[in-house]
Amino acid sequence: MKPAGASQRSLPPKGDEAGPGAARRSAMSRVTWRAVSTEAKLLLIGIPLFLWTIIPVYHLFLFAISPRDSATSGRLWPKHPTLDNFAVVFGQKHFYLDHFWLQLGNSVLIAVAVAAITLFVATTAAFAISRLKVPGGRTVMNLALFTYFIPAAFLAVPMYKTMGNYGLLNNQWALILAMVTIASPYCIWVLKQASDKLPWELDEAARIDGATPLQLFRLVYLPLMLPSLVAVGTYALLLAWNEYLFAFLLLSNDKSLTLSVALGSFLSADDSPWELLMATGFIYALPPAAIYYAFKRYMVGGLTAGAVKS
Amino acid sequence: MASLSFRNVEKRFGNVEVIHGIGFDIADGEFTVLVGPSGCGKSTLLRMLAGLEEISGGTIAIDGTVVNDIESKDRDIAMVFQSYALYPHMTVAENMGFSLRLRKADPKHTAERVDHAAKILNLGPYLQRYPRELSGGQRQRVAMGRAIVRDPKVFLFDEPLSNLDAKLRVAMRAEIKALHQRLKTTTVYVTHDQVEAMTMADRIVVMQDGRIEQIGTPLELYDRPANLFVAQFIGSPSMNVVHGAVRREGDVAWVEAEGGVRWPLPAGSAVASGETVAYGIRPGDLGVGASARPVEAEVIVVEPTGAETELLVQAGPAQIVVVVHGRTNVRPGEVVDLAVDTGAVHLFDPSSGATLRA
Amino acid sequence: MSTALAASLPAARVPRAGASPWLFWGRALVLPYLLVFVVFVLYPVGYGLWLARHPASYVKLFDDPIFFRTAINTMVFLVVAINLKMAIALLLSGFFVTSRWWIKILSLLFILPWAVPSIPTILSVRFMLNPEWGVINASLFRWFGIEGPNWLNDPTLALSFSMLMHIWKSLPFWTLILVAGRLAIPGEQYEAASVDGASNWQKFRFITWPAMKTLYLTSTILSMIWTLGDFNSVYLLTGGGPADLTHVLATLGIRYLRLDQVDLAMASIVVALPLVLPLVYFMMKRLSK
Repeated sequence: MKPAGASQRSLPPKGDEAGPGAARRSAMSRVTWRAVSTEAKLLLIGIPLFLWTIIPVYHLFLFAISPRDSATSGRLWPKHPTLDNFAVVFGQKHFYLDHFWLQLGNSVLIAVAVAAITLFVATTAAFAISRLKVPGGRTVMNLALFTYFIPAAFLAVPMYKTMGNYGLLNNQWALILAMVTIASPYCIWVLKQASDKLPWELDEAARIDGATPLQLFRLVYLPLMLPSLVAVGTYALLLAWNEYLFAFLLLSNDKSLTLSVALGSFLSADDSPWELLMATGFIYALPPAAIYYAFKRYMVGGLTAGAVKS
Repeated sequence: MASLSFRNVEKRFGNVEVIHGIGFDIADGEFTVLVGPSGCGKSTLLRMLAGLEEISGGTIAIDGTVVNDIESKDRDIAMVFQSYALYPHMTVAENMGFSLRLRKADPKHTAERVDHAAKILNLGPYLQRYPRELSGGQRQRVAMGRAIVRDPKVFLFDEPLSNLDAKLRVAMRAEIKALHQRLKTTTVYVTHDQVEAMTMADRIVVMQDGRIEQIGTPLELYDRPANLFVAQFIGSPSMNVVHGAVRREGDVAWVEAEGGVRWPLPAGSAVASGETVAYGIRPGDLGVGASARPVEAEVIVVEPTGAETELLVQAGPAQIVVVVHGRTNVRPGEVVDLAVDTGAVHLFDPSSGATLRA
Repeated sequence: MSTALAASLPAARVPRAGASPWLFWGRALVLPYLLVFVVFVLYPVGYGLWLARHPASYVKLFDDPIFFRTAINTMVFLVVAINLKMAIALLLSGFFVTSRWWIKILSLLFILPWAVPSIPTILSVRFMLNPEWGVINASLFRWFGIEGPNWLNDPTLALSFSMLMHIWKSLPFWTLILVAGRLAIPGEQYEAASVDGASNWQKFRFITWPAMKTLYLTSTILSMIWTLGDFNSVYLLTGGGPADLTHVLATLGIRYLRLDQVDLAMASIVVALPLVLPLVYFMMKRLSK
């Protein structure tokens, strides 16, 4: 999102002064009643918004760096901030964390596998539908859209039974394939929209130059679609990493669990070491945040375009 | 280099037939221009030749081989698109060498061919640039370079100069013509601009509504148009056309148009008296000044273009364009005498448009 | 392509369909997704519907008081949470298009709830709500001497917090969408309105809202569909409790599943279809234009 900075013409927010004028005026330090009341109204929204957004995250962080006894003291910053909790987590020194590294590895592996397979499935489908104009492409697109709109939780129960039937329960492939199924439709949609924007003449020129369909795909299509591929791959990666429900249903062996399920299982005990839980949670939350901010530019365009056509 | 032949070529989109049984030949090495208004089917015909459109009926043959069922890439043709269709993610050199790369040619051989084409087109300094860094004219040349590297039997051009500004267009026209003279490859060139057709073509195919109106050399089309459409399409400014009935008085014949204006017919004219005709006379075949049978007209607009002067005059209710060499003293509002070069008069059947007499 | 011909064309330029390698690869490349679809969507859905075929399941379902409670919870969740969320998103969309340096920074932070996985954050809130040592009650006691309630033990409070959690997580996404909608409105319209003497409210009413109406509606509908599937916000916060009183549709199915009552699980999902399918149909019509 590039709301404030990106808009050259900044639109007046609800109930407030025109943007550019106000900024200029405040820069010139002309303190008028209007300017002050505008800033006041904006702050009235901004400050609560900031607190609302940051508190759960900050609380997470707070617990992660607090020693056990003092975490609950209600202080804004721990008396003795410590990285011990992280040490315990990384050292797998608590029986809840026995398999931390393995589970973290599982999360990584599964996320990467999902991203790779989804990219493959979605890119080939989008190419076939958009550029090769395969007959029935419209229907496939509609099937994909349909799957995208159905809430994933509705698919969970049938998927669980089905994976049982396929004999894949507690096999990581079950989770990978389930996530590919959930992520693909949106990816195909986004890729198709982007593909449609490529000029037709390129395909025609390539065909006259002598390209076979595969050469067209490899040498012309893929290089031109690279930004979209990054957006879509990142989306699938994060979707798989963040997934809880399906992982929870389809995996039960401690050794094959992903980190998200492991975190959830902390809850079942009464004396959970919640500061360790928060430390683990913090570690778990870092990669998506980092990746999201790194690829922000790609994500925003792709995701907003795909979700709702205004 | 190769000859082309079209036999009864038809094209249908669904139930709509857009090209109706077209047939003609193109000799080896000829530069043929397909020209006509928007929607006449010239681009469709070109694309059928290229293999980008299915041929609904009839056959197209390259060098004697029918190519209807042959893939574009096996027809040994190269095409220059209106929008150049350069691969944005490849350099100029890569763009030009792409077709060879697809055939897994030896990279050294590819480089040689690319360099050769680049030299012909003065693209040497740009080989490592990307299309987005080039001007329109340069991109056009890269597109041509890509075609040259192919060394095909036929060059196809699909309105390649439409996206360029006027001055550049004139320059590129000469370049393309020079290229053709150098390489002597059979070329089929599509345009809607009759000036391009006139200046570049060995032969012109004038099309309208999916049919051929006339095929001929530029001057043949100019001097002896087969019908009203060709007469008014070729030549700029367009031929003046008025409708009227033929009248005779002894040896003298004329066409009486609305408002009693008498347009002179040449002495040997054989058209029957009383027949309604369309009378055509090109602006350049009219003059201002004394003559045997002048046509009176009032000057409306005077447009000096330097070497010539274009006049818009009114004869009766009809508006006539006259082009005279050099400057003139006439002013708007003046009544002048138009001198008609009766030898250059064209007569057409008013309903069918066919030429009655050149 | 010439315009007259283009008018008679059924679709964009199609590569010669008869040319076999193009058709072959078209089919071959769409196959991976079709495979995925058939094996992991078609079959499971079919199988699920088959599992839910006994009318007896539905009788059992409707007899279960938990189901009734769940249905109410779900409706409350949908009506309250979504409308609240979308209204706030609308307000914030106007906020975020204002140019201030600090608003720009805030907008970067604002994405956090959405970018970050929900498990840690929901658990974080859950701990904040812990009646004995959670931050909220601890602070209440420390600063005001009040003993805070057992937040998650009261079904109404618990459900409310689940809704707040859901809003917290999904608000950034919808705000983003509405911001995109706002930015699409030409600034000149507002300038012309200013010259005409319009107040801020009038500008909203006559320029902003008409332009955003459709987007707002579509977003609300889509949000409804996805909220029905929000498992995490309820399960991780309340577990459906206390005493199964805060279940929503998404968590109920899983509850039955874990009790090995698969038929009820499927039945509870099928029962929701008359609500979900028309919404899905609506969205598909909008998007597959």
